[in-house]
Parts: sequence; structure tokens; C-alpha cells
Amino acid sequence: MESVLFIGMANRERAKADVLQGTLDLMLLQTLATLGPLHGYSIAARLEQVSAGALRINMGTLYPGLMRLEQRGLVRGEWDVTDSNRKARFYSITAAGRKRLATEKAEWDRMTSIMHTLLHDKG
Amino acid sequence: MATFRAWITRLWAALRPIRNDRDLEQELRLHLELAAEDARRRHPTESAPRAARIQAGGVAQAMEHQRDQRGLPWLEDLATDLRHTGRTLRRNPGFSAIAVLSLALGIGANSAIFSLVNGVVLRTLPVKEPDRLVHLARMTQAGRPGFVSYPIFELFRDNVRSVAAVFAQSSSVQPVVIDGEDDFVTVDAVSGAYFAVLGLEPAAGRLLTPADELLSASPAAVVTDGYWQRRFGRSPSAIGTSLTIRDRVFTIVGVTPPGYGSAESGRATDLMLPLLATLTDEQRQSVGFNMFSVLGRLVPGATVDQANAEVQALFSGFLQANVPPGPQERRAQLLRQRAGAVSGAGGFNPLRDNIAPALLLLMGIVGLILMLACVNLSGLLLARAEARQREVSIRLAIGAGRGRLARQFLTESLALASLGGVLGLAIAASLSPKLFELFVNGRELVLSVTPDWRVLAFTATVSLIACLVAGLAPALQSVRVNVNPAIKQTGAHRHRRLGKVLVAAQFAISMVLIVGATLFIGTLVGLYAVDRGIDTDGVLVMNVRSLRPYPAARAAAVQSDLLDRLRAMTGVRSASAARVLPVDGSLWDRSVQVEGYAFRPDESTSAGFNVIAPGYFAAIGTPVLSGREFGDRDAGTAPKVALVNERFARYFSGDRSALGRHVTSLGVTYEIVGVVRDAKYQNLRDAVLRTMYIPWTQLDEEDQPSSYTYLARVAAGDPLSLVPGVERLVREADPALRVRTATTYAAVIDRSIGIERILAMLGGFFGVLALLVAGLGMFGVLAFRIARRTNELGLRVALGASPGSMMRLVLRDVAGMLVPGVAIGAGLALMLTGLTRRILFGVTPSEPGVFVVAAAALAGAAVLASWLPARRASRVDPLVALRHE
Repeated sequence: MESVLFIGMANRERAKADVLQGTLDLMLLQTLATLGPLHGYSIAARLEQVSAGALRINMGTLYPGLMRLEQRGLVRGEWDVTDSNRKARFYSITAAGRKRLATEKAEWDRMTSIMHTLLHDKG
Repeated sequence: MATFRAWITRLWAALRPIRNDRDLEQELRLHLELAAEDARRRHPTESAPRAARIQAGGVAQAMEHQRDQRGLPWLEDLATDLRHTGRTLRRNPGFSAIAVLSLALGIGANSAIFSLVNGVVLRTLPVKEPDRLVHLARMTQAGRPGFVSYPIFELFRDNVRSVAAVFAQSSSVQPVVIDGEDDFVTVDAVSGAYFAVLGLEPAAGRLLTPADELLSASPAAVVTDGYWQRRFGRSPSAIGTSLTIRDRVFTIVGVTPPGYGSAESGRATDLMLPLLATLTDEQRQSVGFNMFSVLGRLVPGATVDQANAEVQALFSGFLQANVPPGPQERRAQLLRQRAGAVSGAGGFNPLRDNIAPALLLLMGIVGLILMLACVNLSGLLLARAEARQREVSIRLAIGAGRGRLARQFLTESLALASLGGVLGLAIAASLSPKLFELFVNGRELVLSVTPDWRVLAFTATVSLIACLVAGLAPALQSVRVNVNPAIKQTGAHRHRRLGKVLVAAQFAISMVLIVGATLFIGTLVGLYAVDRGIDTDGVLVMNVRSLRPYPAARAAAVQSDLLDRLRAMTGVRSASAARVLPVDGSLWDRSVQVEGYAFRPDESTSAGFNVIAPGYFAAIGTPVLSGREFGDRDAGTAPKVALVNERFARYFSGDRSALGRHVTSLGVTYEIVGVVRDAKYQNLRDAVLRTMYIPWTQLDEEDQPSSYTYLARVAAGDPLSLVPGVERLVREADPALRVRTATTYAAVIDRSIGIERILAMLGGFFGVLALLVAGLGMFGVLAFRIARRTNELGLRVALGASPGSMMRLVLRDVAGMLVPGVAIGAGLALMLTGLTRRILFGVTPSEPGVFVVAAAALAGAAVLASWLPARRASRVDPLVALRHE
């Protein structure tokens, strides 16, 4: 039974959450950069799809995360209408967001390569 | 950058949210709808949508997280807490008023004393970069900076490398005549670099420069802004006006900037004159004329320590090279002198040494008072918290965090403390000038004690501490309530114990304060009871000075004439004069040789020296023990005579009579013609010195003091009633004579022990206040507990307890609070009062009598406080009590 990553926020796990926040930011930015403007549910659905069901983000994490990115000027949110004619808030990545994404991606790659070397070092 | 932007956005959103709750909720609801639809599409079973919704999370919780992200949660919580506090305080106006008032008084008293400390000790001179100033001085035996002589000033000026420029100052009060009007003004005679060192710019005209020190026909003078205002109404015509001081003419050339008074703390200088223009040759050249204060500005990069080291070495070197060979003991004494440099940021500060110890003591006292008020308030808050237990339990049960709840209680204390702090500041602002007047006690001191940023910071800190001390215990106690009602008893028990501990703490603090008060009052009583050796009732003391200098012969004639007129005045029983009156000042210190006595090499040869008019001892009330007083026959040309006091006679003659022996001082030999009783000259505390007196007619003219102090004993009534007559009389004796000061002797004595009087007065006041507060605290706790225990008490009575045993129950409670409180307080007092050793007189800090008195006072207060509650307890009606819920 493969483990499912439920990303939710609890009061007591603030420290863990900070690490996860950074990862979440990266996921959101990448999704928006690849697919263009999406509303919240689409982003969550896309992430679940890409990870083959391993990543399931709940509302209490997703929307505060998007709001945080918006406050920092990395994404922009606008009200618009979906295909099924429902009013939804669409988020799109900004130029600053793209720059940030590139930096974070490079950093992440560097980190994983270091860790990989470290953990699999055969001496 | 992004984080900063986020912070600003959140701050703005906390005040004015752009995305409101409805907006956020709409987004969330859509998410749920879509999640449910997807789930239904994928697994068309009944439970799938529900499962999806559960997985997505609750709307309410998500909203919470959204809101937390949108604004600043802690800020919003604080706002909520403050609103809640406002409601609570408004609902209990009586309680709030008492709480705020008691805090305000405690904080206010602390801030008032701190304002004084600030003004006397902490404030810096209003000049350019005061922390670069350094005070160069000879050090007194107590290690405080003292005066130097002119040659030493020149030594420092020319040789201390870490100091760029240096000035010397000599202060005095002089009679001045401007446009025919005469006045006494405060004069600082300053050397040329004065204004350069201080970095002052003139408000009008120009300031003194080194060029002004060169003697000229009409040397320049500078007036301060205060004097310019007072004497000239800030008229520009002041510049260029001539003024005459004792027959020397000066021309006013400029005005100092407003806000600057003097380089000496507490002085309100009127005039600055060039130093060299005011000095005699002897004053300029003699190494022994120590009358100057020296201040300098450090070279950039130099420190006070560097200057200190330099000055020490320089002075030691000077002494080695210049102390003449002579009597061993005298030479050693001279070589022992030290010089040094201390920070001059506050200017010259003799006030500090006089007042600072007492001020610090007072700070300790008011600090204890504030702590007392806080502990008292804590008890009140605790009692109120007990009443709000139900509310707290419910809130905990719903899910409020204990931390959050405690934070809300602390916010209440914070609000109370802030209100108390603001009110306290207002109280301090109005109290500190009055307090300062008490300290100054009629002397001419000017100091700004208005609150500045230091006082504000101090008040804020003290308020915060008060908040914590008062609010912490009740806050923590309240949230420790166990939600389970079955265990509610334990919580109440803890509450009660804490309440008792708080009352015991109040008694402990009161004990310390009352012990202190008793010690200070005892000191004052002891001082007043000292045998002064004089009769101080009904005596007027006057300082008379002349506007113009006299040649010596004329001076003697004027003085005698004045004395005769004084004696002839109606209402005057006797009159005389002296250079120094007992308790009013310092005797001259002279080296003496006594016929028939050989000094050992290590013995001190000094004796106190006073110059007096005929009839002095009769006027002042010191009995003549043998021989006679000075009279008219002891004129300048007659054989030199002297009087000595008991101590002198006993020291040099032992049991034999001192009459007829000869005493030599400064080359002049006198015959002892009388012995008088010892009298206190320096102050009431110090032991009496060996003293000799000579008639004023027989003193060399160059040694004559600039003025004598006259005293007149009235036959009856208030001595001050003589003053108008005396002022007239003085001018009749010589038109240039003026009365500078006139007070009663009783006032002189009081002034000499001013500090002790203040400590006794304030200590006593605060001691009584502490007694009251502690008593009220105990009363409150007892009354509260009796009310809560009505049920239990009724049960006891119903089962047969007598009224007496009910009272004993209450008294046991009282003892449980009183005894530990007094014991701990006594221990604390023993530790703390050791600090007051130097101020005490006639009592020791560990005298058992004092502690017994204090404990008795507290016990009395406790008994009084428990009177009503005990009576209530003994009168409990079981029928009423058992139905009481």
C-alpha cells in the first residue's frame, strides 16, 4: 500500500510545515508556469494527477499557500469564469514568480544531487 | 524583498482587508463543489462525494487558515483582547478605579524619584557633545573630585595631552551695581577657553575668549539668558552696559544661549567674568589656594581613563618635586594627595555626592511600595478570577488554548498597568518639583526635573514590570483550572493558598518599610537630641556684605558700629558676630603649637579656627566654663588673646587649667584667657574638633573674611520680625552694606539635616501607607474567604461550635499570613537595612527594639483588619448559612 502524502497544516507542526511550505510554493509555481492561469481546484487536481495520487492537498493548505504567494507578488489572482460558467479565482504566475521558480528549481536540484551523492556514497 | 512586501500586505490587510470573508468562502465552496463532482464522476457511489469533501477539509477550518494568512493573527488577537478588556473594566468601574489608582500612585512615586535621580545624576550639560568632557581634579579622601589651585590648573592645561582644551572656574556670589541699582548675583569667573571647550554660541553679542583674560581697563563680562531676561527683559541695550563689582568695572559683551545655566549642576549663574581679572596675585600664584574647578574636552580618540592616568602621574610628579621639607607628618599628608580625571558629561556636580545616596534609598523605598501595590492588585485580580472560574472552564472546554486565555488575562493587566503608567507620569510631573524643593530646602539650587525621554522609558519599563508582577500569578492560576468539575475543589484550594501567600508577601514588604521608617525617624530624633552646645531658640542669623571693598581699618569700624546698632535695636536681647556659626559651616583648619605640649611625629597639629566678635558666647548660648569672654579691651593693639573649647583644653592641658597658656598659630602667639563648652560646628553628627577662637579685631587684615555672619537673640517672639528693621539699620551703618540672607537658627539647624528630615518624613509616610495597604489586603482576603465559606461555617455552628471557636478559626488564618510575612520581612529588613548604615545616627540597623516595634505595628494592623470578618464569622446564623449557595 503506497503511502499518500496528505499535506495539511496542524498547529503543533509549525517547523515541519515551514519546510513543507517551501516545497508547496515550488509545486504551485511550477504548475502555474507550465499550465498557465488555473483556479485552485485545478491546481490541486493537476498535482494529484502528476503524482499519480500520492499528493493530495487540502483546502486549508492550498488556499493560504496561494494567498502567501500572492502577498509576495509571485502570483496574481483574478476573478473569472470557468468553462462551466461558474465564478472562480484564477491564479497566474508573474515575472517575479518565474524568476523565483528558476532560482528555487536550481537550488532544489543542487540539493538533491548533493544528498544523493551523500546517501549513496560507496566510499 | 518578497517577505517584506508580504509583511506590509498582511499589516494592511489586518487593518483593512481587501479580500473579505465572503470572497474567501466563495472560493472554498467552489473547490468543494468541484471535488464532489469529480468524485461522483469517478466513483458513482453515495459516499464518494462525502469522502471527497472530508478529504478536502472543513470550510470553517480552511477559512481560519485563510484569515490567519491574510492578516497578522497576533495583532488581531491583541485587538480582540483589548476590546474584551475594555468591556470588562467598564463593567466593574469600582474595581478598575482602585486598581488603576493604586498602580498610578506606585508608578508615579517611582517616576517622581527617578526624575530627581535623572536631574541630579544622569542629565548631561546642554552643550556640544557633553560625553567628550572630562573633569580634572584633586581627589578628596572620599574619592570624589575636589578643587585645585591656579598653578595646578596651569600644570594640567599645559601638559595633559589627551585633553585638547581646558578651563578653570571659580564660583561665588557677588554684589553688583548696574545703573545705580544693586543686587547680589551668582558669578562664575572662568578662564579664556571656557566657551570654546563647551562649544557654545552666543544668543547675542559675543562670548569671552582667551584675549579677554589680558588685563584691560574695562574687562568684558557675559550674562546668561536667565539674567538677561530677569534684569534687562532681554533688551538688546544690555550689551555695552557697564556693571560694577566691588569697585571693578566690567562691560557686558554678550549673552549665552537659552537653556544653558552653568557648568555646575544646580547653579543658576547670572554672570561670567574673565578669571584673571578677578584674582589677586596670591590667589593666582599660591599652590595652596584650592578654589577652582577644571573641565576639559578630550582630544578625538582619547578616553577618560587615559586622561585620568596622565593627570595622576603629572600630579604625583609635581608633588615629589615641590613639597617642601618640613614636619614629617605634614609632608606625608601633602604627598598623599591624589589627582585624577572623571567624566565631565554632567559638569561639576557637588549635588550628586550630597543627595545621591538619599535618592537611591528613596528609590528603594518607592520600589518596594510599587511592589506592594502590585502584589495587592494581584490579590484582587486573583479573587476576581476565582469568581470567573465558570467562564474560564467553559472557554477551555470549547477549545481555547490555555496560552491564548492566559494572554487575554495578561492583556487585562497590561491595560491596567498602561492606564496606571500614564496617570503615574502625570503624578510624577507634578510631584517631582515639590520633592525637589524639599531636598533643596531653601538653598539656591536650580534644576530641571521635568520628565525627559529617560523618565518616560523608566515609567514604561516600570509599568510593564508592574503588569507582569500583578497579572502573572492570577493569569497562570486561572488557566490551570481543570475542566472536570469533580476536581474543582483542588483548583479552589490552590487559589486560596495563593491568596494567603500574596497577603503574607504584602506583610513582608510592609515589615521592611516599617523597619526602615522606624530607623529613619529614630535617626532624626537622635539628631535633634544631640547636645549642640548652643541655644538655638529665638535667634536670627544674618549674612551681611558690602557692595564696595573697605580698607581694613574702616572695615573694623563699620563692623563694630553695626554690632552696636544691632544691640541697641528694640527687641534684641543680645547680638554678636562670627566668621562661622555652629552647624552652619566649616571652621578654618590651622596648625597650632601649644606651650608646654610636644607633638609626637605622627600626631595631627591641626585645630579648628574661628574669628568672633565680643559677646559671642553669651549671644549664642555657649557657657564660658572658666576665664572670660572677649570684650572691648581686646582691641587690635592690645595683647593677643584667644579662647579655646573644652576639648582643646583637655587635650593640651589635661586636668590643669589652660588659662594663661600660650597658643601659636601662623606665627602669632595668643594667650588663652577663657575656656568654653564644646559646640558642634561642622554638623550635628561629627565629633567636636579642638577649637580656638580669636577676636575679630586681632586678625590680620589680609586674612579677614569677605563677610561675617551676625546673630541677634530676640527677647520674645519671632526672630524674623526683626528683618525689616535690620535691613534699614544695616544701610544706616554704611550705605554700601546689604543683608544677603536672614534666617532663624532653627532653620539653619533644619537645613543641615535636611536629608535626614526628608527620609524620616517620606519613610514615615510610606511606612504608614504600607501598613494601610497590607491591612486592607488582609481584610479583603479574609472577607472574601468568610463569604465563600459561609456554608462550612454554618455547618460548624449547627454542630455546636461556639462563637469563640469561630473567631479562633479566623485568627488562625490571620496568624498563618501574619507570622510568615513578618518573619520573612524581618529577614529581608536585616539584609537591606545594612545599606543604610551611613545615614543612620543613634540607631543601628539591627536593633531588636526597632523590629519589635515594627512587628507590633503589623500585628496591630492585622488584628484590626480581622476584626470585622471575625465578628461576622462568630455571628453566622446556621439557618441562613446552610441555605446560602
